[in-house]
Amino acid sequence: MDMAQKMMQPDSLLKERAHELFRTVKDAAREADGIEITLTTGQSENLRFGNNELGQSQFGKSRNLSIRLTLDKRQARATTGRLEKSLVERTVEKALSQARTSPQDPDHLPMLEAQRYHGLDRYHERTLTEPAEQKAAHIGFAIDLARKNGLLASGVLGTNVGNVWILNSVGLEANYKGTNGFYSLTMDADNGNQTGYALSTFADIRELDAGKVAETALERARLNKNQGETLPGKYDVVVDPYAWSETLFFLTVSATAGYAPDFGMRQYKEGRSYLSGRLGEKIMGDNISIEDDAYHPLQTGPSFDGEGYPKSPVSLVENGELRGLASSRISAHRYNDAKPTGHELQLPNPLGETPTNLVVRAKGPTKTVEKLVGELDKGILITRLWYVREVEPRTKTVTGMTRDGTFLVENGEIKKPLRNLRFNQSLLELFSNIEAASEPIRNTTDFGGATILQPGILARGFNFTSASVF
Amino acid sequence: MSTSKGLGEDLAKLSLDIASRENATYADFRLVNGRDQIVTVVNDNSSSEETQSMGAGIRVLYGGTGWGFAETDETNDDSIRETTLKALSLARGASKIGSAVSFADEPVHVDRWESPVKKDPFDVSLEEKYRALQESTGKMKGEGIVVRRGQMNFSTVEKYFASSAGSKIHQNFTYSGAALAVAAKGPAGLQTRSTRQYMSRGYELIDELDLPTQAPELTKDALALVNAKRCPDGKSDIILSGDQVALQVHESAGHPIELDRVLGYEANFAGRSFLTPDQLGRLQYGSDKVNIVMDATPEHGPGLGTFRYDDEGVKSQKKYAVKEGKFVGYLMSRNTASKVGEARSNGCMRAEGYHLPIIRMTNVSLEPGDWNYDELVEDTKDGFLMVTNYGWSIDQKRYNFQFNCEKGYRIRNGSIEEMVRGPGYQGITPEFWNSCDAVGDRKSWVLWGTPNCGKGQPTQIMITGHGASPARFRNVKVFGA
Repeated sequence: MDMAQKMMQPDSLLKERAHELFRTVKDAAREADGIEITLTTGQSENLRFGNNELGQSQFGKSRNLSIRLTLDKRQARATTGRLEKSLVERTVEKALSQARTSPQDPDHLPMLEAQRYHGLDRYHERTLTEPAEQKAAHIGFAIDLARKNGLLASGVLGTNVGNVWILNSVGLEANYKGTNGFYSLTMDADNGNQTGYALSTFADIRELDAGKVAETALERARLNKNQGETLPGKYDVVVDPYAWSETLFFLTVSATAGYAPDFGMRQYKEGRSYLSGRLGEKIMGDNISIEDDAYHPLQTGPSFDGEGYPKSPVSLVENGELRGLASSRISAHRYNDAKPTGHELQLPNPLGETPTNLVVRAKGPTKTVEKLVGELDKGILITRLWYVREVEPRTKTVTGMTRDGTFLVENGEIKKPLRNLRFNQSLLELFSNIEAASEPIRNTTDFGGATILQPGILARGFNFTSASVF
Repeated sequence: MSTSKGLGEDLAKLSLDIASRENATYADFRLVNGRDQIVTVVNDNSSSEETQSMGAGIRVLYGGTGWGFAETDETNDDSIRETTLKALSLARGASKIGSAVSFADEPVHVDRWESPVKKDPFDVSLEEKYRALQESTGKMKGEGIVVRRGQMNFSTVEKYFASSAGSKIHQNFTYSGAALAVAAKGPAGLQTRSTRQYMSRGYELIDELDLPTQAPELTKDALALVNAKRCPDGKSDIILSGDQVALQVHESAGHPIELDRVLGYEANFAGRSFLTPDQLGRLQYGSDKVNIVMDATPEHGPGLGTFRYDDEGVKSQKKYAVKEGKFVGYLMSRNTASKVGEARSNGCMRAEGYHLPIIRMTNVSLEPGDWNYDELVEDTKDGFLMVTNYGWSIDQKRYNFQFNCEKGYRIRNGSIEEMVRGPGYQGITPEFWNSCDAVGDRKSWVLWGTPNCGKGQPTQIMITGHGASPARFRNVKVFGA
């Protein structure tokens, strides 16, 4: 048995452990009128390399017990990574003492009763047991390829397994076990003046085509040499599906309230969201739909929210119109027109609900990225966007840079690489200018707490405002 | 907390003995015991959470060519034994395709250090913390106000470090911080004003910040901004507030001097740097008014980058990164120092919790200049004052940046005049710092805290300190959001 496998507890033991911890908490928290525990365990292995060297191999495992207690309409949460009985009892004391001195919660609700969940099979043993040597061989292949081509390979091949158990004092029991991983690779030369990038994500490591990742990074690095300049301005663009998860994240949060989520009912109703008052309004092009669907086969994570409520699919944007919001029991209690959808964060949650499993689609037949490039008369192919941040919330204008391959396209063909460009672009406007898209892919498996399935796009009039010097 | 030291000593001995028996070239062990509290009020929603965590990180060099690292939050003998063996197995694997590792010498240290605290934040009741936040957010009400947010963060961290070379270092840290944000909705959309500060201090920092007194002023600003004119586009002289200069230092000076990214080890995520070794001692990074230090020593002040020893046992030092405008130094590790001809690391290896240490900023600070703030404004004929960051972005080699601020003012003939909304500026790092012709004096210098710097894969969040005072930059590209 591999050491990684040996260090992971079997499910039955974990279940037993969760119940044992719940009993300990219950015995110590007699004063509480509601008890909820969330036991989270995880194990990760990341083989990280840079400069053609495997220099930062990391292995880690973690366990966390988070306890929420309610007491006379007050509540508090205390969390510990130490699961010895005396320390769990001390954590209960902390939660109790904080609950006693917390303000009464105007949204106080009794603990959620037992629920039925859709089973999700997102655990793939092979992701956990894949020998480190095999993973190192994938990296070795990329390093060899880079060396042969006078390039330097840098990146990480990471695998994770996570378990979560929620138990509460009125009989709720929710659990999830899943695996995921990613292989992210850059090949570069000349101090990053010549670069190429590729990424692949997986739930089952057998889905990983490491050779393809290496060849894509190499091909882009080969093309991205001796960049030319281009004047800032509006260009038609093709955005590679792997290029823009960070950009999409900023569609769903606002800097206004400290990067609080925007597509949630409470923030919408309180007027905190940039979307407040816009339900039913056309905010994007007719062809765009965005839904939150935890059950999509490419999605990750559990089928329940932070208090164990089952997730329902929610249509957030349909045919360009703001149609729905992520909601929760609290919103249903507060507002007559709200129903819970299973998008609560762990309680107490002052921010509001958030979508966790976004799927972005453009209507019409999907096309490959190559085909999208082929349809570009004159424009720019973007393979990676970087350091995206909000500039203005109402129009959702964000700024950011291109990196690792920005190419001028003419008559459907890549003509030459370009120096990196800065953009200032309204995302609502961008989503109104999308003409065609590829099938959505799963980008980084966990960005900002949400997994986003996103397509590559062909969009008109993308606003580049300045150029960098490389 | 002292029990962790005893536990750390026992577990370190167990781990380092195994590494030695298995012929590791070098090994170090860290036990980190952390306690965090976060108290939040958003409009009428409130929450508090306290978190306790403890874990060990074990780093091993094998065959002089391969590093391995493993961590665990089970701090018992069996788990430490297994985790040490896992680190060894990763190091052996890496050594097969690795090349000779250089590792700068460091004296053996046996020491103990504690960051200064006057008022332990965990001795202050939750009730008092809520009272201060609710009083503050209560003073943010008004027609058009849609977000009233207050937050306090506290943590204590106890670290025990031991290495196969014989170092045994025990350090205790206390951190406190608070933030207020208010947003108004009006003709010009959503406009935000905020304040925040984080330091290696106790609750005395929160007392000094006096949040309830700051709240009405921030609210007045937010309400004024929704009716203010947009900052015009063009080229102009600008004066940046001290907190904005601190972020400018962080992004355009602090990150490009990280030697690991310079050498390409961060190329896949954080990126590279324009400050290549051939520029060291040669490049005129900024004007002669620009002096930037890397200083983790307690003498620099109680910043988020202050410590006595870094996470690979190197004693904190003060070094210049930029001296009278010239680029002269990097943030380094024992592993990288020799790559730029240095015999010793300047102690910049830091880890989030018990994760793998990587090169991070400590306190990277712009030294004060000699300009009185009022005189600086009076000396500015035509320009903009830009205050407190709203958004920030910079390319992967740290050349092309863009920053947006929460509020701005037109300056005409040495006087601050009408407010402008959405002020932003954009530039290329060395051109920008070479346009700096005035830096505020010691009186206006504040050691700001940045609690959220992301780097590494998997990403680690680090806390960093940045001393800065208001500064003036000439002929900069400005615009309004």
